[in-house]
Amino acid sequence: MSSHNPDDIHPSSGGTRPPLQHTRSKNMVMASHGRAPWYGPDGKNVEAYVIGIAGGSASGKTSVARAILSALNYIPTVLILSQDAFYCAHTPEEIELAFNNDLDLDHPNSIDTPLFVKCLLDLKQGKATEIPVYSFVHHQRMPEKKYIYGASVIIVEGIMALQAPELRALYDLKVFVNCDSDLMLARRIKRDVKERGRDVEGILDQYLRFVKSSYDNFVQPSSRYADIIVPGSSNQLAIELLVTHVKRQLDTRSLRFRRMLAEAGEERSKGRSRASTLVDGQNSNGSEDNVVLLEQNNQLLGIMTILRDRTTDRGEFIFHADRLSTIVVEKALTLIPCEPKTIRTPLGIDYQGLARDDRLVGISILRSGGPFSHGLRRVIRDVPIGAMLIQSDPRTGEPLLLKSDLPASIKSRDTSGEVKVLLLDSQMGTGAAAMMAIRVLLDHSIKPLNIIFLTYIITEPAIHSVHRAFPEVKIVTASIDPELSEMHIPYNSDSLSLGEGPISAGEADFATRTIPSTPSIGEEEAKEKQKPDPRDALKTEAELSSNKFKVQVKETEKLKFSRVHKRGESGEKRAWVISPGMGHIGDRYYIS
Amino acid sequence: MSSPNPTTTCLPASGSNVHKVELPENALVLAPTRQLQSLLTIIRDEKTQRGDFVFTSDRIIRLLVEEGLNHLPVISKKVTTPTGKVYDGVAFQGRICGVSIMRAGEAMEAGLRDCCRSVRIGKDEETYQPKLFYAKLPDDIANRYVLLLDPMLATGGSCIKAIEVLLEHGVEEEKILFLNLIASPEGIQKVCTRFPKLRIITAWVDEGLDSNSYIVPGLGDFGDR
Repeated sequence: MSSHNPDDIHPSSGGTRPPLQHTRSKNMVMASHGRAPWYGPDGKNVEAYVIGIAGGSASGKTSVARAILSALNYIPTVLILSQDAFYCAHTPEEIELAFNNDLDLDHPNSIDTPLFVKCLLDLKQGKATEIPVYSFVHHQRMPEKKYIYGASVIIVEGIMALQAPELRALYDLKVFVNCDSDLMLARRIKRDVKERGRDVEGILDQYLRFVKSSYDNFVQPSSRYADIIVPGSSNQLAIELLVTHVKRQLDTRSLRFRRMLAEAGEERSKGRSRASTLVDGQNSNGSEDNVVLLEQNNQLLGIMTILRDRTTDRGEFIFHADRLSTIVVEKALTLIPCEPKTIRTPLGIDYQGLARDDRLVGISILRSGGPFSHGLRRVIRDVPIGAMLIQSDPRTGEPLLLKSDLPASIKSRDTSGEVKVLLLDSQMGTGAAAMMAIRVLLDHSIKPLNIIFLTYIITEPAIHSVHRAFPEVKIVTASIDPELSEMHIPYNSDSLSLGEGPISAGEADFATRTIPSTPSIGEEEAKEKQKPDPRDALKTEAELSSNKFKVQVKETEKLKFSRVHKRGESGEKRAWVISPGMGHIGDRYYIS
Repeated sequence: MSSPNPTTTCLPASGSNVHKVELPENALVLAPTRQLQSLLTIIRDEKTQRGDFVFTSDRIIRLLVEEGLNHLPVISKKVTTPTGKVYDGVAFQGRICGVSIMRAGEAMEAGLRDCCRSVRIGKDEETYQPKLFYAKLPDDIANRYVLLLDPMLATGGSCIKAIEVLLEHGVEEEKILFLNLIASPEGIQKVCTRFPKLRIITAWVDEGLDSNSYIVPGLGDFGDR
């Protein structure tokens, strides 16, 4: 029940509706819980589902949109995008006309269609966008913009929503709300008098001059493009039909998504077995170049030994984790280009030096990325540090993006292209959270070249998953652990049902993560090593999971990710542990 | 003994060392990465404010200390990770002691503390004319590895004096690591010739000394800044 952006989203928890009545804003996002992966294992976005709703002024478009929205409250993020935001910027003369009710806002030309199309296309492709803000009080587009990101369903509403062919091309479903003219006029008078403080005379005048002709000439004719025409009143049944259709569409879409994942997994395991015959180091795709492993010198090994030792006390752990993150950050910074700069030393001598690019931000993946931000601050005092909260869905085991707080330079399209991002997470076991975080950055037009992922420990499979999808992203790590070892844990149905709720909550606290492409890793790992590790510790784990398998980070009760195994009905659960690993870093750093 | 280490190089690869001085084997220079160069650019700049100066030099000192510590011996150690697996690691061996040459060397103590917990720090007072004013060293210094801290190595006079004091206190010469931000080729030659078993780790070798024995291009008086 957290939102992606506090400014733009009205968060609402699970089933409760957002407070619709007292917000006049027609643009809204409803975020009931975290956002599941919106991309395939190849890292490419799956398009959002877009519904266009047109209809006369006061015909009931907004209420249809909201009815759909509340029926879809199980979808993490549904966005209602109103055409009102896209009125063109006006000249001073036009503003004067507008204040005299003489400006025709009901003509298709009053809409900034190119911008509308651009924003909608961005959103449909899963990118972040900034929509304009139009004020009816000032009759003008406001200088500020509204940042919107991350909707899986977009509902576009407006009288001209079906007008422009460019817009129509983007809709997956086109709806026209049909309503009798007298009813629309009655509603309009009531609304404008009550909410906009206008007098009946003025409203009627405007209606006759602009609204009526616009409706007859543009709005009503556009209904022929609609897939479905919904009555503007007593329309519960129509909405129900509509919602059923949308749900079915979304379901087939997600089925396709799963199949896609599975197929990619099979291909990949084939690819891997071929690749494994190659001599180590001769990597065909060359992605290894983008993995920087710190030099394994005595100091580093010594630090790793302390961090990996389970008897290390917390103070010692924090001290060395900070020290290690400083070393990793220093290493990562050597990958960032510098500009030549000439300065004068106190001795009065000119010196040809280099200056660091300061368009650098850090993003920590909560919460195990937390320790890293200390290290980053020690190296660059004033670096902006953002955060993403990514946890795993207790039901499906998929990673969920619960919150992203990004620095302003990333949110703005104008600057994000040049921003260099240090993505911080203390370990990468499966790569799922990392992939999600990278996807979020790419959706903000960050260049993959400019992303450096910093971590203490990474596993081979994680490097492969991440680099298969995002080969240009650089990874700096202090150690590469050979594998996630796979274990089979007998499945205990009694404790499962009980354990589910509270444990998933606890799990969330541990900065757990999941993989979208888990099946591939899972199957691969299964083929590669059939040595179940009968660790006693893990037995207790069994009570945590249903017929899903969870990957456990370290320390028995800490789960790395979980997911329903497709063939998991057999009554056993699989878990992955980074081995040898160093336990749950977030916990050891922050809790015990 | 000075194990050739990929991150360090015996010859400064930078363009700033115009004379391409051959450095003695026991002098190590940090790899001249772009980052390091940009850090040095900040501390050399006369316009740099004190806060930035301190912060940036701490960063370089941390790199030096990490490199220095890397020359200390380790023994292998097996530990059990929280997942129950055994990890073949190493443990640090030998205790260390930081000795700063006052007063500029004191500025390096913070960087040392960032990397070593519970390090003992002694003091060693010097002046421009290498004459010992003050020496406060831990009693058991003879059993420790000593990280001698002085940001600038110009003529090497004060450094040699400090090393002599340490030797008088029973520290073995090969257990001394001299950590230094900017060195002059002359200073390095002098110290390394005098004490062939000691190791010098420096971040940068500058062009040389001017007539006032200041390092050029240098960064001015470190302690003052």
